[in-house]
Amino acid sequence: MMWIEILSRQREVAARVRIAASEVRIGRGYDNDVVIDDPYVAAQHLRVVRRDDGSLFAEDVGSANGTFIDGSKTRLSDFVVDGKQPIRIGQTYLRIRDVDHEVERELIAPPERHVLPIILALVIGVLILAIDALKIWLTQTSEPRASAYFTPLLTVAGTLLVWVGLWALLCRIFTGRSHFLRNLLIVLIGLAAFSLCNEFAQYAAFAWTWPWGVSYEYVAGWLIFAIVCFGHLREIGRSRLWLKGGLVAALLAGGIGVQTLQQSEAFTDSGRQRTVHWLMPPMLRAVPVSSEDAFFDKIGSLKGELDTDRSQARPGEPRL
Amino acid sequence: MQKSFFGALVRAIGLSVLIAVCASDMASAAQGEGSVAERIYAAAPPRLLQIRTLVADAGRQTSIGSGFLVSADGLAITNYHVVSQAVLEPDTYRLEYIAADGSQGKVTLLRVDLPNDLALVRIDKKDVPFFAFNQAALEGKLAKGERLYSMGNPLDLGFTIIEGTYNGVTDHTYTDRIHFSGALNPGMSGGPAVAADGNVIGVNVATRRGGQLISFLVPARFAADLLQRSGENARSSDVKPSDIKDEVGRQLVAWRSGLYKSLGEADFRSDTFGRYRAPAAQALWFNCWASTNASDTPKPRASVNSTECSSDTSVFVASDLNIGAININHSLVKTVDLNQFQFATYLIRISQPRLSVGGPFKKWYTPERCHEDFVQAGAAPQHPPLHVVWCAQAYRQFEGLYDVSLIAVTQDQSLEALVSRLNMQAVGYDDAIALGKRFLEAVQAGK
Repeated sequence: MMWIEILSRQREVAARVRIAASEVRIGRGYDNDVVIDDPYVAAQHLRVVRRDDGSLFAEDVGSANGTFIDGSKTRLSDFVVDGKQPIRIGQTYLRIRDVDHEVERELIAPPERHVLPIILALVIGVLILAIDALKIWLTQTSEPRASAYFTPLLTVAGTLLVWVGLWALLCRIFTGRSHFLRNLLIVLIGLAAFSLCNEFAQYAAFAWTWPWGVSYEYVAGWLIFAIVCFGHLREIGRSRLWLKGGLVAALLAGGIGVQTLQQSEAFTDSGRQRTVHWLMPPMLRAVPVSSEDAFFDKIGSLKGELDTDRSQARPGEPRL
Repeated sequence: MQKSFFGALVRAIGLSVLIAVCASDMASAAQGEGSVAERIYAAAPPRLLQIRTLVADAGRQTSIGSGFLVSADGLAITNYHVVSQAVLEPDTYRLEYIAADGSQGKVTLLRVDLPNDLALVRIDKKDVPFFAFNQAALEGKLAKGERLYSMGNPLDLGFTIIEGTYNGVTDHTYTDRIHFSGALNPGMSGGPAVAADGNVIGVNVATRRGGQLISFLVPARFAADLLQRSGENARSSDVKPSDIKDEVGRQLVAWRSGLYKSLGEADFRSDTFGRYRAPAAQALWFNCWASTNASDTPKPRASVNSTECSSDTSVFVASDLNIGAININHSLVKTVDLNQFQFATYLIRISQPRLSVGGPFKKWYTPERCHEDFVQAGAAPQHPPLHVVWCAQAYRQFEGLYDVSLIAVTQDQSLEALVSRLNMQAVGYDDAIALGKRFLEAVQAGK
């Protein structure tokens, strides 16, 4: 007894025929045991017999297009069937398996859904919204309005859900499971990281008079975005991670490159830095106060930079 | 409301035309028939000029102004801003005159006086009548209310004479300007304003936008000086265009260093400002105004009371470059119902350095460079710690001139702060540092 399995292009079983005889004929003609509706298959295409030693032996009975093992370009006239690699006749894939073909062990069913990730997702989600709300409150200098909170918070929550939904959909298509919670966690952790980064940059801009954190925050933004994308891609499947990593690295390099270019060109055009000179409550200052002389020494050294800018501005142009 | 003295100048300000006749002509004319203006204008044509700046290759005028003869051998006075294009880009532009009597010809540049917006030119005429300077005006003895007659060619509509009143020298200005109550219009710049005797009192230069009949004249003594300084050598040999262009840069640097020196000598006075003391300029040529947000709607969540002192020290350098303003601005900010963080956020908006530019960035300036730090400008508690930002940019074409914006925010209180700002255009770097130091030292906290 054996089974003939007709496979789809994705090599999934589309039909399965049980054969009790020790010989089976496969082809497009109705005199076959298994009839295949594929115009590229011959009327009598393949014959499989059980040999004396019990193995299955396939034989091309004179087709024009030939018989192949899936993935190979060598045309076979006869071969021993191992039941593992699909066979291609015409444009149809087949698998021929003996009844004693060994199957893999059953998968262990996933345990009951853990409560921990759900709580974690909830906590991080609430934390992000709370940080945002706090930030809105602390920077609210005009009349307080409820919409000033709801609009940005709902925008963040909505965007987040759409984003996670899309990745879950992709996961579902490619792996059969959506992994919604894991995708949600990935993006929440990314968002929380960006939020902290942002706060830190602003704090550093004031407390350490270090404005570059704010100026180059976008680098951290892109980095986190790339890591989040990689995390989502990894959920879709652990295969070809190097390719996914490469894609994400390209995205990262492209994003940072384009934005840096755009900023540097804007600076060339306007001559103004986009840096905001940040202020916070005086008690948050972390560096000691400079003496006036030390400050003006630094100011004096700016002159050299300005003069260099000037000499480089238009080398050929005569001065007035 | 203080803006645009010179802002209006470029093309907006009219050029003026010659008015006067010779002194002797005037004397005889005074006995004749008709009004004074009629007599004055009747004698003007051969010495009153329209000065046209032409695009050399196109052969048509791109801007017009007026001018007047001041010597028998063809020397004439006009405004620098009337001829600035030809001064700065002699290869692109050339100058031409049309006199009120219809004669026309080439104009040669001889000298410029940038701070007073004057230029001395020569036209190819010999033994012609010319305008003399009024002696009382040179000595500064004119009385307010005296009738003046300004001439020029407004808006290219034809030579015109305008009657107005002498109202002395303007207050709060670094450079002397005669306040003339009369209707100057674009195209009259560089024309003469004369007294009833037909002698020149001043040179038409600018009007105030938004005012009524508020016009300005450059006092005649500057024109007389320029004529005298040029002396014989200006008449004998031609001046190379590149020399005049270099002279513009030199005059600008010299004039600015004089200005900032006098600002430094006058020093800052500490004015009481709430519980703080804030530096105020003692020089008389600052115009100070106060403002408040107390009556804003909706009710502001922090009160801001400000003073803004600005100097009318801008100078016309090119049609797209007016530089030299100095601004001192203080805002006392107090919370109404903001907490510390909100208050700090509120301060961010009003404490950003703003380098004001007098012309297109890419043509005239280098990119800004900034430095910020916390600074203690003297012993506590009298001198509070300050958060200071200094931004500066250099002028591409003038060596040794910079624009500087200095902002100091007091850091001794979390719900109240004094934001002090000093903006200086076209300043020497060492002058800026010296003034900046004194400015920071004058920001003090009361007991």
